[in-house]
Amino acid sequence: MDETVAEYIRRTVLKIPRDEIKPMLQKWGFLSEAQIETVNFRQMKENISQDVVQLCEENSADIKQAAVLDIIYNNIYPNKRIWSVYQMNKTGEETEFFDLTDFKKKFKRRLRSALKNVTINFREYEDNAIWIRIAWGTPYKNPNQYKTSYVVYHSQTPYVFISASVLRSNLPLLCQALVVASNYRDIHEMELRSHSLNSLKDIVFKRYSQNFQTYCPRPLPERNVAPETVDSRIIQENRNEKERIQRLNRQVFGDGPQPKIEFAQYKLETMFKSDPEMDVLDKKEPFRCLVKFSSPHLLESLKSLAPAGMADAPLSPLLTCIPQKARNYFKIREKKGLLPGSFVSP
Amino acid sequence: GVFAHLELLEARAYEAAVKQEETEQQEEKLARLKARVQELRLQRDELRAKVEQQQKGQLGKEGAVLNPAQPSARAVLEWKMKSLKAKLQIFYLTGISGKLTKRGVCFCISTAYEGTYLDSYHLDLLTKPEVQIYRHSVPIFIPLQQIAKKYLQTDIRRFLSVLSNHLNAYVGRRYQADQLQEHFSGHIEGTLQRNSLCNLLVFNYNVSSESKTFPFKVRLLYGDPCCSLPTEAVISCTPGAPPSLAEMAAAHSDLFRRVPLHKAFRSFSSSGE
Repeated sequence: MDETVAEYIRRTVLKIPRDEIKPMLQKWGFLSEAQIETVNFRQMKENISQDVVQLCEENSADIKQAAVLDIIYNNIYPNKRIWSVYQMNKTGEETEFFDLTDFKKKFKRRLRSALKNVTINFREYEDNAIWIRIAWGTPYKNPNQYKTSYVVYHSQTPYVFISASVLRSNLPLLCQALVVASNYRDIHEMELRSHSLNSLKDIVFKRYSQNFQTYCPRPLPERNVAPETVDSRIIQENRNEKERIQRLNRQVFGDGPQPKIEFAQYKLETMFKSDPEMDVLDKKEPFRCLVKFSSPHLLESLKSLAPAGMADAPLSPLLTCIPQKARNYFKIREKKGLLPGSFVSP
Repeated sequence: GVFAHLELLEARAYEAAVKQEETEQQEEKLARLKARVQELRLQRDELRAKVEQQQKGQLGKEGAVLNPAQPSARAVLEWKMKSLKAKLQIFYLTGISGKLTKRGVCFCISTAYEGTYLDSYHLDLLTKPEVQIYRHSVPIFIPLQQIAKKYLQTDIRRFLSVLSNHLNAYVGRRYQADQLQEHFSGHIEGTLQRNSLCNLLVFNYNVSSESKTFPFKVRLLYGDPCCSLPTEAVISCTPGAPPSLAEMAAAHSDLFRRVPLHKAFRSFSSSGE
């Protein structure tokens, strides 16, 4: 077995949390059940990984098989990477009959025709997600297995989720291969990025909870029936206001959990509006300013702003439109009305 | 000590205050309810008087107790409920229901396949200045924009009907593929290749002939997006297979095009193939 492959497997196993190593090796399926049983998973991770490498040596693992283990790891822990969403456009209106074998063949052919030194792996999952792992090389160097790009594509959809590596120069080639393989015409990057791949999927596939008004019987939301305070002499002064805020919040955010994004960025190119007497700027030009909101879970925190009393309800549509417009990077320019300009219509 | 005594007194005072508060609230509530009862009694009396007047009026004119052209309040209510129940029944059967919203209508398309209710999808439409889709929960691989471009402005009923057909066919195909994977995984060799729309399925399964098993490779193409049965069923067998197998392949191909996938496989297991 190649030393580089051994080292790669060793490092991949080290990344896996101790309790997950055995299930992941089983999922991988490269080592037999009997072989896996011989490993003591209670020893130090250093030693576990050495044992695994030893077993892989016995089975003569090559880089393709090692790459599969890497895909499995990234599929279970996708939030360690940052994902961007790309949108593809089609010319025709005929029904798509997506053939997986055809897709894989076209993708590999396109990529390999431009770049000989590249490792490509595919893995399909139950939810129709196709995971593609690409390790990039140059005409003179072998593919760098530690700087990989990941692509997640759901067939017959115009969206591709890409976690590119540092080597952004390969991105145009990757995009081209995707367009050719999936029978689309072109592709462009959307203004939507997050660590949470599933949340990005929720946003563009519209799987998040939108509060639709229907006659379908739904269990009524539980109100505060039981008074929290034992003392009935305490009266809720702002009960009406609180209920109004709850109602508005539910209308805007829906009942279910919000998609998980970590930041929203607003690039302001608007004129600074100050008191004319206090002429701060000599020249009347747009005041460039970047506002960035960060949070472990931005949309949930926005949802809790009004109920917590930290903001007025309803919140600015600039903040609440994020899932519907499927973007978290905005450019706000001067416009006649109060509405900000340059929104990409969905 | 003194503090303990004070605490005791304080606790007692607190309890007494709470009790008093409670009784006051009870009395208030009781008074409110009594007033409400009075209100309702008054209303009832008024309505009774009205009904009697109407009946007297009829008696005076024609001598009949009830004029069928002016049904009683109870009959009107019953008729309303019956017609509402009928409407809800229609919605339940067709799977399309709608509710007026402040700015338009919200439709709910419920799908089903062969008696099993499956997913529901929503469409929030605006009606001014023109009919447009504000938001929806239709899967991205359903050609919603195409269908909307064709019918939304001109014939909204047709739009809903076509969309409903697409959605029902999709869930039907998906249901069959899921059933195949769940209940007949033993028959299938390797994985079932499918896609988001479930309009192309490729898989291998074994058939036995003359006490030997042979692999069949199937490629099911669902050419009509509004249909849950394949338009093409291409079955290929290995080159060295006996000629009787070609007949079986043709028969199976025909079966797949006529019968839901899982039912076809059920017939295979029952006929002992």
